[in-house]
Amino acid sequence: MNGSVVRQLALKDWRLHRLQVILSVAAGAAALGLFQIGREIPVVLGATWFFVTLVLLACMLPMSNVVNERKKHNLAFVMSLPISPRQYAMAKILSTFGMFLVSWAILVVAAVWLIEARFPHGVIPVSVVLTGLVLTGFCLMASVAIVSESEGWATAAIIVCNSSYGVIWYLIIRVPETAKEVGGAVAVWSPRVLRILATEAALVIFCLGLTFYLQSRKRDFI
Amino acid sequence: MNELAVELEGVCKSYRFFELDDIALQLPSGTIMGLIGPNGAGKSTTIRILMGLVHQDRGEVRVLGHSMPDEQVAAKWDVGFASDDMRLYDSLTLGWHMNFMKSIYESWDAGYAQLLLKKFGLHADQKIKGLSHGQRVKATMLLVLARRPKLLVLDEPTTALDPVARHEILRELTDVMVDEDRSILFSSQNTQDIEQISDRITFIDRGRIIDSMDKEAYLDRWRRLRLEVPVGVALPALPGIIGIRQTGRLAVVIANAFEADLPGAYENSGARVQAVENMTLEEIFVANVERSREGVTV
Repeated sequence: MNGSVVRQLALKDWRLHRLQVILSVAAGAAALGLFQIGREIPVVLGATWFFVTLVLLACMLPMSNVVNERKKHNLAFVMSLPISPRQYAMAKILSTFGMFLVSWAILVVAAVWLIEARFPHGVIPVSVVLTGLVLTGFCLMASVAIVSESEGWATAAIIVCNSSYGVIWYLIIRVPETAKEVGGAVAVWSPRVLRILATEAALVIFCLGLTFYLQSRKRDFI
Repeated sequence: MNELAVELEGVCKSYRFFELDDIALQLPSGTIMGLIGPNGAGKSTTIRILMGLVHQDRGEVRVLGHSMPDEQVAAKWDVGFASDDMRLYDSLTLGWHMNFMKSIYESWDAGYAQLLLKKFGLHADQKIKGLSHGQRVKATMLLVLARRPKLLVLDEPTTALDPVARHEILRELTDVMVDEDRSILFSSQNTQDIEQISDRITFIDRGRIIDSMDKEAYLDRWRRLRLEVPVGVALPALPGIIGIRQTGRLAVVIANAFEADLPGAYENSGARVQAVENMTLEEIFVANVERSREGVTV
């Protein structure tokens, strides 16, 4: 019976944010469309637009799905339903992470498919690493939003993550082996690339676990 | 069956600038309790503890026989909660909210929900953001009432409502009590609302329960006596008197345990009783709070 309430709450969030998710996927797809032109400027513009779309969605979802629920006083309504704080956290994690993960996966798979079809395959690993970083940043921002339910803290997390992307992308790209592999015709999944991906995955799991743990220890909800 | 719908015993909760101190409260099944207190008295905190939204630092809380907050999920299946700061989703329609509640509660009564829609003059296909404050409160009440909960916990639901909307809500709450197993805990600053529908009254101020008893007992026991006190006559200290205000030869005496022989006792002392008046719940509330605060500060 209670799994049903968690499911209904997650579905409610999907219903509330479906337009945001659809528009983001459409914007990402349009960015990938620029790749089809094939010349340098459209490709650079398309890649920038593509990452901006992912980063925007990663910033907007935690704010609109988590922080706004408290800000607009919907939390009292939700918490009056037969759920525990732990189940509320579960519903929020399922919906917030689910909505982003689905959009992210669609766009990343489409990007990889497009690169495979039109560009040297060497760029695929680094693209996955860079988009994986956006996913990791999203998890951090969403975790802060869910645990703090505070606009201030969520905004701080957004600023920190968005400021970090440029630095980390630069550090990844400037490694000579990476630069060499990017131009290659074959995708090279080197130990270094796999280590970065494993670190990103570990951070995602850590954020999810910590969110669930901290949320279930909360004493005051409203 | 548990005879108490709500039971709080020794409940404490501390914040930096506010403390809920040793709250004890009992709401028997089948009764309506009005919780009256000024702003910042602790009404909302008490209700939030009751709903498991805030965890008490100490003390026992039982709702419909379930220990809170640990068993809040089981309790909340049968509790309808509405508060003045609760909002529905602006971008969605009332109909969506009704379907949402129906998907969660097997007890959802679709026929009653339609009836309430008509009674409250609401439209299912209207978005919440297009509703007035009164309509939003009615929409929230519809969602709570159509679940047919055993216990209604309402935190200032009639705040800022016009008299007609208030009357509609209160009438519906009274109708709910046709089923004798249902109970209502209703907090408000509006003593008229409380007086209209409650069986029991609890006064709360500065984080403490200052009094709790049947409404009729309150209204019977509290009286205001207007006395003329001739020069040289001193009013005697009588039991059940909580306040005397004297200006010149006129005195106003407040009794919280009025007995029929009280006017005679004053007459015997040399004073002349001009009037014995009933007090409204608001007057009793104010007198109670003042007495409590004097007791605290003296």
